[in-house]
Amino acid sequence: MQFHPRYIFIALLIAVLLGVLFGGDFFERKIDFNSEVKPILNKHCITCHGGVKRSGELSMMTRADLLKAGESGKVAIVPGAPEKSEVYRRLITHDEVDRMPFESEPLPKKEINVIRKWIKQGAQWGKHWAFRPVAKVEVPTTQKQQGSLIDPASGQALQDIDHFIRQAQQQWQLVPQGPADKEHLLRRLGLDLIGMPVSASLAESYLQSDHPEAYEQLVDSLLASTHFGEHWASMWLDLARYADTKGAERDARRVIWAYRDWVIRAFNQDMPYDQFITEQLAGDLLPDPTDAQYTATGFHRNTITNDEGGTDNEEFRVAAVVDRVNTTWEAMMGSTFACTQCHGHPYDPIKYEEYYAFMDFFNNTNDLDTYADYPWLRQFSSEQKQELQALEQWLAGQSNEQIADQWIDFLKTWQPVYYSLQADKCINAEIYDTKFLAFRQNGSARLPGVNLTDKESLIFRYTSGAGTGSWQLHLDSLNGPVLLSQKVKATKGWEIHEVPLAENITGEHDLYFTYDGWQLPNERAIGLRFDWFHFTSSFPGKGSIDYSLQKEKYWELLRANTPYTLITVERPGAMQRSTHVWDRGNWMAKQEKVEADIPELFDPWPEGAPKNRLGLSQWMTDPKHPLTSRTIVNRVWAQLFGRGLVETLEDLGTQGAEPSHPELLDYLAYTLMYEYDWSLKQLIKSIVMTVSYQQSSEATLEQLEKDPQNIWLSRSPRVRLTAEQLRDQGLRVSGLLSKKMYGPGVMPYQPDGIWNTPYNDDQWEISEGEDRYRRAVYTFWKRSSPHPAMLTFDAADRQVCVARRIRTNTPLQALVTLNDPSFVEMAIHLALSVKEEKTEVADQLALAYQRAIGCEATPAKVAILLELYQQQLMDYSEHKEAVNSLLSDLSSAHQTAELAALTLTCNAIMNLDEFITKT
Amino acid sequence: MPPINNIVREAQLKGLTHKTRRLFLRDCALGLGSLALGSFLGSCQSGTAGGKDLFIDPKNPLAARPPHFAPKAKSVIYIHLAGAPSQLELFDYKPALAKLDGQPCPPSLLEGKRFAFIRGVPNLLGPKANFRQRGQSGAWISDHLPHFAELADEVSFLKAVHTDQFNHAPAQLMMHTGSPRLGRPSMGSWVTYGLGSENSDLPGFVVLNSGGNNPDAGKTVWGSGFLPSVYQGVQCRSKGDPVLYLGDPKGISRDQRKASITAINQINQLSHEEFRDPETLARIAQYEMAFRMQASVPGVMSIEDEPDYIHEMYGTRPGQTALANNLLLARKLVEKGVRFVQLYDWGWDSHGTSKYDNLEISFVNKCREMDKPVAALLLDLKQRGLLEETLVVWGGEFGRTPMQENRNGNAAMFAGRDHNPDAFTIWMAGGGIKKGVSYGETDEIGYAGVEGRVSIYDVQATILNQMGLNHEELTYAFQGREFRLTDVHGEIINSIIA
Repeated sequence: MQFHPRYIFIALLIAVLLGVLFGGDFFERKIDFNSEVKPILNKHCITCHGGVKRSGELSMMTRADLLKAGESGKVAIVPGAPEKSEVYRRLITHDEVDRMPFESEPLPKKEINVIRKWIKQGAQWGKHWAFRPVAKVEVPTTQKQQGSLIDPASGQALQDIDHFIRQAQQQWQLVPQGPADKEHLLRRLGLDLIGMPVSASLAESYLQSDHPEAYEQLVDSLLASTHFGEHWASMWLDLARYADTKGAERDARRVIWAYRDWVIRAFNQDMPYDQFITEQLAGDLLPDPTDAQYTATGFHRNTITNDEGGTDNEEFRVAAVVDRVNTTWEAMMGSTFACTQCHGHPYDPIKYEEYYAFMDFFNNTNDLDTYADYPWLRQFSSEQKQELQALEQWLAGQSNEQIADQWIDFLKTWQPVYYSLQADKCINAEIYDTKFLAFRQNGSARLPGVNLTDKESLIFRYTSGAGTGSWQLHLDSLNGPVLLSQKVKATKGWEIHEVPLAENITGEHDLYFTYDGWQLPNERAIGLRFDWFHFTSSFPGKGSIDYSLQKEKYWELLRANTPYTLITVERPGAMQRSTHVWDRGNWMAKQEKVEADIPELFDPWPEGAPKNRLGLSQWMTDPKHPLTSRTIVNRVWAQLFGRGLVETLEDLGTQGAEPSHPELLDYLAYTLMYEYDWSLKQLIKSIVMTVSYQQSSEATLEQLEKDPQNIWLSRSPRVRLTAEQLRDQGLRVSGLLSKKMYGPGVMPYQPDGIWNTPYNDDQWEISEGEDRYRRAVYTFWKRSSPHPAMLTFDAADRQVCVARRIRTNTPLQALVTLNDPSFVEMAIHLALSVKEEKTEVADQLALAYQRAIGCEATPAKVAILLELYQQQLMDYSEHKEAVNSLLSDLSSAHQTAELAALTLTCNAIMNLDEFITKT
Repeated sequence: MPPINNIVREAQLKGLTHKTRRLFLRDCALGLGSLALGSFLGSCQSGTAGGKDLFIDPKNPLAARPPHFAPKAKSVIYIHLAGAPSQLELFDYKPALAKLDGQPCPPSLLEGKRFAFIRGVPNLLGPKANFRQRGQSGAWISDHLPHFAELADEVSFLKAVHTDQFNHAPAQLMMHTGSPRLGRPSMGSWVTYGLGSENSDLPGFVVLNSGGNNPDAGKTVWGSGFLPSVYQGVQCRSKGDPVLYLGDPKGISRDQRKASITAINQINQLSHEEFRDPETLARIAQYEMAFRMQASVPGVMSIEDEPDYIHEMYGTRPGQTALANNLLLARKLVEKGVRFVQLYDWGWDSHGTSKYDNLEISFVNKCREMDKPVAALLLDLKQRGLLEETLVVWGGEFGRTPMQENRNGNAAMFAGRDHNPDAFTIWMAGGGIKKGVSYGETDEIGYAGVEGRVSIYDVQATILNQMGLNHEELTYAFQGREFRLTDVHGEIINSIIA
């Protein structure tokens, strides 16, 4: 239906008249709290009237807060009646002392009007967009209406995602670029999907094919490549703060690379994202967890521990728990929960106590800043695994499955145990160097709160050089009944032993150790040291025919010296910790006890879910959860486009950036959950298949003018490679790349004297053979001193969760790619390979450029390279010694002025903006 | 002047006059002035949008920026004695403690205290040094520091500094990042973030280590935390390349490097014509600067060209890694406009458990290595007229106990003291600091401050203040809130400001 303009005019006139009659508000449009009111409150009010400062006893965090009277006794907001609302009065008053914002200019009239209308309309509150559930979004139809689903520039079919992007571009009157040429697209896709250029054969088949589905086939083969996981893991490892060392002071090595390998495998297998985070948060709580699921829980074992002498282990355990809470929120829910550690959230409606209730989920894992970084998953050989399986069956036959599981779990994890560090009341005993409980002559100590119900024996790990004296365990006091008494035997290092308890006791008791040690040479000498204690029922199957044989097998495995990886293990019921609110974030000032729970802001707890980490992951992966899906699609988008749909990857909350394409964000989040069943590969494919992704990255002056930051994607973004991509690309194009996957961290070239850690003479020893040329994801990561070349290219130090690397552009980066021997070696090998293939210098240079950059060099560029080559050739022809030193690693036959000049030119190519940037 | 420069100039002027308006760029895409800048400068790569972060030019993130107010100092030289030297053997003279030497510590002093190593009831330990009053000011300085003692009238002593960490790594982090946990930016990073650098051929924040080890807290103490990595301290080394990867590869000459950078930049210019990416222009500038750095840094980092009398004055040990060499380097660096020079000298932890960590031998040796060159630095800066604009700070991460350490409950073999977070001495000189002042006082055994107590946040606030920075306004948005060096603390110590 079309209206004649005249009728519209008349209608408007009537409307205005009516509006005047009914006090001006009759036809007022509805004020939207989130987009109109909340920004005003956040900008002008909340600093003083927020969750932290409640000046004049007024907070503006919730509607309920505002309906109350403040210090003045006047009600802040009376819904429907701005004139009765103190907030409104304070905005319009001419009394400068009274007027808000305090000691500032009055608010602009327009904003005051918004507030007035909003109060008039009932002062309805609204949730910030990121806290509302993800709803199905209709794909915009602008382009469809114009009768075209085909992009005229490329002739390609527009995808759903493209419609969202085109719609925004139309609003900004931006004209999108045409498609990128095949060469650029090939390099871009390689860097995005596998983190480096694609193999020569795959490149050739794509470039030569004019099959309409050639691009899609390329996408599919890259998604299926094992290199895919090696690339995408890096993003996750920053969030997981994965490193190969413990972090503080001596920053000793830690064995947790199996977790890094788990992440790579999970990406390669396209593990659904809900399962991906469930296994990392709660793999140990899944029924009958596999080794891989245990390994996944290494996610939260990547926290820093401190071996420094004289430290309080509980302090650093608690610091790790806080880090786990903050990381869970930042990495998986894109929120800044960390704020609430000391006070109510200043901007988002989350309460102080809610932080600690949430912390309770993570406060019950059995790690304690121990020197050995317990708990471990002990990794058995395949032969040992077979024995273990047989044992498991035998044990189940002798008892029941639950008891068998307990014995097998203990075998695999040495858990649950009381650590000797938990001992106190030490006399002539001490927690030696904060690591072990040690006894001297006439020593005693207490192990508090041990549950002895159904316990018949003690398994413990200890060492004694002296091998003299005996030790006892007393019930309830130093003079209490003796539960066990044992002569100390000298050990070969640490040994595990078992002693039966003298009595069957029930309930929780303090146990007291005594040790005599009269034969020790002096009163300072240490008689024995304990590591941990495991109280248990007796080994099942007593009286059965092969009891001793099976028990012997069990103990052989229990004592076996195996590799291990760090995992999370929950303390069993009897050992549970209680969690308290801390006074202003001070862990030593404990206040009321709290139970595990989620903040009220979020949807209720899933019905029937256990109140532990497993239930927590159920809640987080419920499609109703507003943050989990939005957070991950935003991260994936940022990986591909260099910038998230919400720029602040770390914060989708009210203080984060506004989404550039809010509907697209929700469309992707919804599709990930309901259509792709959390498959990240399908999500990634849906993005790289778009016309928008495949655009050229050339920019018109108009695009630069209107959208310098390329928020509206009218061209493909140019993004500097990550530290990892840069190394991997160099190795790939020079032919040096090792395809070996997994295993302990490796050490490529690094200058001498970088580590120098106190109390730790551990050295960086350059790896031999192909390990020197492994992908960057396998480079050994020392937390206090990551590889300097990677750090220069903005790699995170992985001390805490890092959601976003801030890209910088510095001269120190130029020094790395120009001078780092790793990059020089790559240049030599690129030079060698093109020299073998081509005889003409110009052809060699063109090929080197083509191999490095992925497309043909323009004649102008070849001319510049050729001139450089010829200058250098003259120079090197006169300075044979320079040739020999540049190429000293090669045989003398290769030490020619030509190869030296070619190497220098290849080094220049590998420093070009085009090489360092994804185009 | 082209219009864009007007805008920049205007912004700078505004910055100087209205300190709140200084943080004018909340988001590159918001606001008229910033929109114009945004289109000129291309990408804005500061921290989170919505914060009050400084505006950082992506092409030149180290460009000099105006301070909040007129500064007293242009540069800082911070000498950190890692391990924490004993104030009771250097500056905090306690005759009462000498009388109590060997007596068991009264239990009232131990109640509610936690120590790193002391267990049970330790004995008190009298000062292991002779003290004298020095200069006009009459400051007490022990005989361990004969050279420095001559300069007593040049410095302000803070005698009652306290911290809340009693282990090395967390206390060093506290001192330099304002938090005992890893992950926060260091003081030097904050200063270079706030002020940029005066010398475009040198890093703005340089770190020099001696004593054989990095500080206990690792490189985080000069890391940039959540600030862009361009603000992290650049460690300059006495062995190998002075700056990592600075040297051309063997077999590549300076002329060849120049030719290759020329070729790289010519091709990058062509790429820029093709893609019009402002980052490409930035990269061209960075390659030029890298080349200049290669030329200028080795000269600045070499002490070889200094005259003999200077070597004599500092007591340098050419060819070695030594505090004396680093102190001389520090002077050369501030002369060249480096903003923040951070020195760490490891090996001051005097527990008395062995001949390497006691107050009788190893501590005295460390003092000897430190005394002459530190005095030389002050004199050298002074004779060049640089002391007035250079703030020199000296201190450890905490103090030492008046008690003899009794590790494992046993008497120690040597005289030694445990960690004491409640009292230690820091001194400052130059850079608008009063001369010959002693501020703060500890109790009669030097166990805790009783008057003029200052926290490490106060020390940090004062250092920033001398640099013309308001510690409450130098902020960066991260994890949803504005972070600053001094967290929610910090009072400027006006009593020592000239």
